[in-house]
Amino acid sequence: MRFNEKELISLSRQPSERAAELGMRGPKKGDVVKRRLVKLVVNFLFYFRTDEEEPQGALLLEQCRVEREDSQAFSITFLDEAERKYLFECDSQEQCQEWIDSIIKASYEFMRKNLIFYRTEIHRLTGKDPLEQYGIEDETRFQVTSGLQLMPKDI
Amino acid sequence: MKITEKILTHFQSCNSPVDKEGYLYKKGERNTSYQKRWFMLKANLLFYKDRPNHHDLLGVIVLEGCSVQLCESEEQFAFSLVWSGEPGLRTYKLAAEDQPSQESWIRALLSANHGYLAALVMDLEKQYKEAMKVFPGDPSQQSTLAGPNTERPTPSLIWLNSGTATLSQYPGPGVEAGHSFRTYQMLQAPPISSKPTNKRSPKLWPKRNANVVPINVPAPPQGEWSVTGSGPKVEFSKLHEDFGKEVKELIADWLRRGQEDVIQEEDLIDFG
Repeated sequence: MRFNEKELISLSRQPSERAAELGMRGPKKGDVVKRRLVKLVVNFLFYFRTDEEEPQGALLLEQCRVEREDSQAFSITFLDEAERKYLFECDSQEQCQEWIDSIIKASYEFMRKNLIFYRTEIHRLTGKDPLEQYGIEDETRFQVTSGLQLMPKDI
Repeated sequence: MKITEKILTHFQSCNSPVDKEGYLYKKGERNTSYQKRWFMLKANLLFYKDRPNHHDLLGVIVLEGCSVQLCESEEQFAFSLVWSGEPGLRTYKLAAEDQPSQESWIRALLSANHGYLAALVMDLEKQYKEAMKVFPGDPSQQSTLAGPNTERPTPSLIWLNSGTATLSQYPGPGVEAGHSFRTYQMLQAPPISSKPTNKRSPKLWPKRNANVVPINVPAPPQGEWSVTGSGPKVEFSKLHEDFGKEVKELIADWLRRGQEDVIQEEDLIDFG
């Protein structure tokens, strides 16, 4: 599958929400912990071999589960498969918790759900739809759905 | 750079919302003809494949750091996704089947990036907190928002007040439905504006000089982009106002094209 690699690499060079050198272990059996520069940019987690310009890899932080693993480590699991569980070792409990919080908050889908929550609540409290002031109340991406997949067609 | 394909394909096929899908023509990189492809926009990712019922994805375009521009092309209803932060980055040329589709896609793609949503959420969060002070209401009616301490990044939000009408059916109180050409884009804007939220209807926006400062205002010290990655540093209302100017230009341009039907040489509107 093709993807815009150069542009994604360029994204990895942008200011990040959070970046640090962490111990990282890949999901495959036999993978060991290695020091990597881990960088959170929008909903992507880039990881670099130390001192390399180009990231070794990028993880899309959607549809994943972030969990604490003992006091200073956390894991990210994709597709609910243990074979897709990445482990990250931090230097402190605090740093570990900060990473967990940041990764969860970085998810686009998480932000969308927050948006729908605030929209609904503001409407409930004030009687007004806050998206109307911007004229975006009908945009598909902000609709209150029940988790069903929308199929908006072209006009 | 490695990207785990399975994570992407899983995200594309899972039941999170599809923000827009439909046919577009895509100009190839080597083969310069336009190929018809089925595109699916989800979050800040634009997936494409041959046909809607085909299983395999051909590719994905991560929509971060690009601008959406009208472009001149042999194809009608063309537009492009332009990356220009560094040398050597790509431009994707796309074309829609008709003008409404072109408009709709441009609008969707402009507002697909992460920073746009982040700014909007931040704005609504502020409005929510203000509303909570003014209208404390019945605590038992309050919905709960799952915070970042939950394990799952996609927590279920529990609406205790199930009587709330779905907002998609909410009747607007006479506010203009919005310019049909309204589009949004994350501009390289300066950091946090102290301006209060602009709640005026679009019709009341001050007219802007079309020759006003270009989009590329100086970025804050820490990097080239101020709005991606480092969290929203601009107020959504400011972004929204800045688009008023772009919208007026875009409307004027489209009307002009409709009347004159003149092919011009260069790109007409540069959002980036």
